[in-house]
Amino acid sequence: MIPIQQVLTISAGLFCLGLYVVLARRNAVLVLMGLELMLNGVALNFITFAVYRDPERFLGQIFALFVIVVAAAEVGLALAIILRLYRLRRTANVDEANTMRW
Amino acid sequence: MEQAWLLPGLTFGAFTVLSLASLTGLARRIPGGGAWLSIAAALVSFVLFWPVAADEQARGTHSFAIPWVQVAGLELTAGMAIDPLTVLMLGLITFVALCVQVYSTGYMRGESRYSWYFAALSLFVTAMLGLVLADNYLLLYIMWELVGFCSYLLIGFYYDRKAAAEAAKKAFVTTRLGDVGLLIGILLLFRATGTFQMSGVFHAVETGAIEPATLSLAALLLFLGAMGKSAQFPFHVWLPDAMEGPTPVSALIHAATMVAAGVYLVARSYPLFSAVPGMLMFMTLVGLITTIMAAGIALVVTDIKKVIAYSTVSKLGFMVAVLGAGGAGFTAAIFYLVTHGFFKALLFLGAGSVIHATHRQDLQELGGLGRKMPLTASVLLIATLALAGLPPLSGFWSKDEALVALSQRGPLVYGLAILSVFLSAIYGARLWFRLFTGPAPTADHESGPVAEDESEPGTHALATHDAPVAMALPMLALAAMSVVGGVVALPAVGALVGMPQGIGSYLFFHEPEPFYFDAGVAVTSTTAALLGLFVASGLYWWRIWSPAALQARFSRAHALLERKFLVDEVYQWAIDHIVLASGRLVALFDRAVLNDAGVNGPGVVTVALSALLKYTQTGRLANYALIMVIGLLVLFAAAFGFAM
Amino acid sequence: MIPPEWLFRGIATLGLLGGLGLALTRNVVHGALFLVLALLAVAGLYLALAADFVALVQVLLYGGAVSILILFAMMLTQVREEPETTDNGQQPVALLVSLAAFAALAAAINTTEWPGTTARSLAHIDFDTISAALFTTWAIPFEIVSLVLLAALIGAIVVARQEPQE
Repeated sequence: MIPIQQVLTISAGLFCLGLYVVLARRNAVLVLMGLELMLNGVALNFITFAVYRDPERFLGQIFALFVIVVAAAEVGLALAIILRLYRLRRTANVDEANTMRW
Repeated sequence: MEQAWLLPGLTFGAFTVLSLASLTGLARRIPGGGAWLSIAAALVSFVLFWPVAADEQARGTHSFAIPWVQVAGLELTAGMAIDPLTVLMLGLITFVALCVQVYSTGYMRGESRYSWYFAALSLFVTAMLGLVLADNYLLLYIMWELVGFCSYLLIGFYYDRKAAAEAAKKAFVTTRLGDVGLLIGILLLFRATGTFQMSGVFHAVETGAIEPATLSLAALLLFLGAMGKSAQFPFHVWLPDAMEGPTPVSALIHAATMVAAGVYLVARSYPLFSAVPGMLMFMTLVGLITTIMAAGIALVVTDIKKVIAYSTVSKLGFMVAVLGAGGAGFTAAIFYLVTHGFFKALLFLGAGSVIHATHRQDLQELGGLGRKMPLTASVLLIATLALAGLPPLSGFWSKDEALVALSQRGPLVYGLAILSVFLSAIYGARLWFRLFTGPAPTADHESGPVAEDESEPGTHALATHDAPVAMALPMLALAAMSVVGGVVALPAVGALVGMPQGIGSYLFFHEPEPFYFDAGVAVTSTTAALLGLFVASGLYWWRIWSPAALQARFSRAHALLERKFLVDEVYQWAIDHIVLASGRLVALFDRAVLNDAGVNGPGVVTVALSALLKYTQTGRLANYALIMVIGLLVLFAAAFGFAM
Repeated sequence: MIPPEWLFRGIATLGLLGGLGLALTRNVVHGALFLVLALLAVAGLYLALAADFVALVQVLLYGGAVSILILFAMMLTQVREEPETTDNGQQPVALLVSLAAFAALAAAINTTEWPGTTARSLAHIDFDTISAALFTTWAIPFEIVSLVLLAALIGAIVVARQEPQE
């Protein structure tokens, strides 16, 4: 069976790719997609630990389920916020929402 | 007697009720303004004094205490010790307080804050009784401060008058200088012995458990406190100014009791003082300077109350000097303290009677009152003669014992003491003659005050009158004590009150001092007093010499006396050039270092830094996220490096 | 049942490729497709790890609902595809930071000892077991997360609602 290190490295890779998207893009939808990728990396991490380390209680699986559910909620809200921003500013550019500064 | 706490307890109860009543305005509803409550408390205290005294004679010195403070490693008790010294002081305080309070109902009639006046008097009596009952220094110090505070309240009773407010402040601040010394002295003793208990401290002194240097310093500091309270040179300046208070207050606080607290403290701590070499001599020195200086000033001041005030300063100095004369001096000084309390209170009450009748207190505006105020004149005559020390009045016996003690200190000390007797006879007689003999000085004396009186109808009689009953009775009681108070020194009389060999066998330090009558001393002092009376008569009664001519002849000495040896001026100079200058320095430090640099400094720096740092707030989401991740990485690296 | 390693590696490669595509493209529609690829690959990984139920939920929620929502977002916001509208000018730093993060994670993963993880077989957890756990042991978190979902739903409606005066 494949070693745990490799699975974890895959999840770390997904996480960091998502992180790059979040940090480098200004388009709200792209940022949101990066975020989803990061969450998937995390969920994969949980599943991995549940399968390799905790098969009796499979706590990680439960946790991953919750992560997915919360992520769905978050996407819904984020979409609403993006729509709001778009309606106010005619743009989906998160850098435009910068009035809370000096 | 364990119930001795009732003495201060009762007066404290009176204070509580009266102060609450006067604060809430209920006092106006109490008949007589509640003065009877205060008087009743004083009366019961005075009555209770007798069983306490009898109990002391039966059982000897005894004390009792209750636990007070118990913290780790420190257990304090609050207790009372009753010994002959305490008993004498209790008797003096309760008796004079009773007289003064009864007198006040006449003197203060119609005053606003009448109830408050009695409340403050009651508090004072409480504190004073507590002071003499206290068996440890901490309790004594608390009471000490409390009497000072009451003195402040009562000097400043007419606080709407600037002079009174200033005088109250001056008295408070001046005595405070000494009080700080007292506190430090007490703490020094505590550090050296681990106890505030007087008996413990004295025991340590006797066994030599305290280092000589510490002991000397502590004794000096305690004496500093006594000097402040008992108005010894150079702290005497507050007492004459304290005459701004109502006259009965002057009689109680600034003549008979509180100012004697300093003398009491020295007497109480006598084992301490007598163990320090040179301390007693120093006390005699300070006392003599004070007594001669104040007696000199008393010769020239023209305010009645100030004459008596300087006389008080002089007599307090005399007591302190006598205390410095060793074992015999200890007995004599306390004896003198008690008799002095009687006749000096009487002098003040008599002066108050004159002021009450004429609304004048300057000798230059008074005179010829003898026929209008025969009672006042006669009691004042008794007081004056007792002050001068003529036999067989109380002042004679006590003064004689004192002089016998002082005569052992060498001819110079003895000579100066005799000089002070001579001077006190002069200023006492001068006061009396100028008040009661000669012509009524001026026309405006008759018209001026009367016109004023008419503007406030009903409060005062139009013509000069003698004391009303409420004021006359206390004066008579005090006069009686001034006459007979001294004869307990005689073995025959002393035996009647349980002092078989005179007062020296009752109140003594180490060994009883049997009555000792030195004819030489008695004759010398009586001659000096008579000589003083003669000189005063010549100047102010027969007018064979002119005071004005004498003034002109010794104009410089007179000016020096009139300006009170420039002590106040020296203080003023010191305050202006030393206290205020250092105050300005401190203020500068406060403004520049504490305020500008310490308080405003961080503010300015914060504002400046914020002005720079605000540019990091770009408002762009990605920047924040980036910084967050970098921070996370740094933390991660730190934790990772740490784990490796 | 242990899936062969080549299958696992293949699915993982697909997922990483999807992620890489998302990271490199500036076209939002392409990005979304790459994301769906990555999400489905992750679901495959779950399957390969014998987490059937989670894989199913992943496909339903991510592959279905979330993707649709994102497509809606794209539709409603009409994003243009020039770099100046999609990039925020800190790509070099972002790249550096992401690589550093990956390096850190990889270092942590590979320097840690994993004792007791040499399981030769996968314990298969069937739906009954996981449902029983969800509705008994984890009932309260389950209810709470339902509340969160409800709140998010209402919140989304309130935030996105077109107000009359707008």
